[in-house]
Amino acid sequence: MSDRFFYVTYNRTTPEKAWDALMKPEFNKLYWFGAFMQSDWKKGAPWKIVLNDGRIADTGEIVEIEKPKKIVIKWRNEFMPEIKAEGWSQCTIELEPSGDMVKLTVLHEIDKTGSKLIQAVSGGWPKILSGLKTLLETGKPLPDMAVSKK
Amino acid sequence: MPDRFVYVTYIRTTPEKLWDALLKPEFTKQYWFGSWQESDWKKSASWKLYGPEGLNCSGEVVEIEKQRRLVTKWLNESKPELKAEGYSLCTFEIEQAGAALRLTVTHECAAPKSKVLERVGMGWPMVLSNLKSLLETGAAFDIPLSQTPCHQEEEKARANAQGNAQEAAHV
Repeated sequence: MSDRFFYVTYNRTTPEKAWDALMKPEFNKLYWFGAFMQSDWKKGAPWKIVLNDGRIADTGEIVEIEKPKKIVIKWRNEFMPEIKAEGWSQCTIELEPSGDMVKLTVLHEIDKTGSKLIQAVSGGWPKILSGLKTLLETGKPLPDMAVSKK
Repeated sequence: MPDRFVYVTYIRTTPEKLWDALLKPEFTKQYWFGSWQESDWKKSASWKLYGPEGLNCSGEVVEIEKQRRLVTKWLNESKPELKAEGYSLCTFEIEQAGAALRLTVTHECAAPKSKVLERVGMGWPMVLSNLKSLLETGAAFDIPLSQTPCHQEEEKARANAQGNAQEAAHV
């Protein structure tokens, strides 16, 4: 049994533009809370997420990459000890043309149940992918999205 | 525990505009594959969902708090195998999230291995992506019913069934 987060968005863009927005730090920073991914984007290459204050949030490796369709990343958290202790998760991002849209699918999974990592990314991915869609369709990032509890 | 589908999306808009876009037929028709809802939008009022092919679901408003929360009870009226699962429960929740809104859609069904949830799980991401596009860019995608995930799955299943029947005929 394993925990998983699965999310789909449809975006008015091209697979190439969505691919660039996913891989290039200057785009990442606009919708990923100022963070960005760093890698040579080749199979077997190291991969990491760098936070806007310079801390390393996650590290891992490119398991599979097929431009502009699919990327599979081996992913471990680095800055929250409890989540780091869960070890490796795997994240698959796929882009697929669908009519005038690009279907973007994210599957993030880990080989355990009750995973705090999956719980954390389940909160993060919808914000990141909503921001990505807004950026691709309007050219502007979404504003800060901290939920105010009333 | 009932099975559930949960989808969260963040939209740059106001609670007033989002509420109208969720409830008013002139908006829903633009992003919900031509569908619209009919109701007096009061607690316990009857509720219906129509699509281009006619009545899709019937039910009731379970809970309504303008611009914050809407819970509706759905009974599928277009396919007997879906109707047999009984009512599902759909909750829209709107929260302020910084300068954006967080919309959470939770769809639950008590039937085990629910086909209704399987279908809404394919449909909601497209509908809600399209709602976000409409509110943020002023234009939704024009998605013909034939391009929706449920219809494409049905087509595939039909093609497979035909293929199997042809194979069986050859044996």
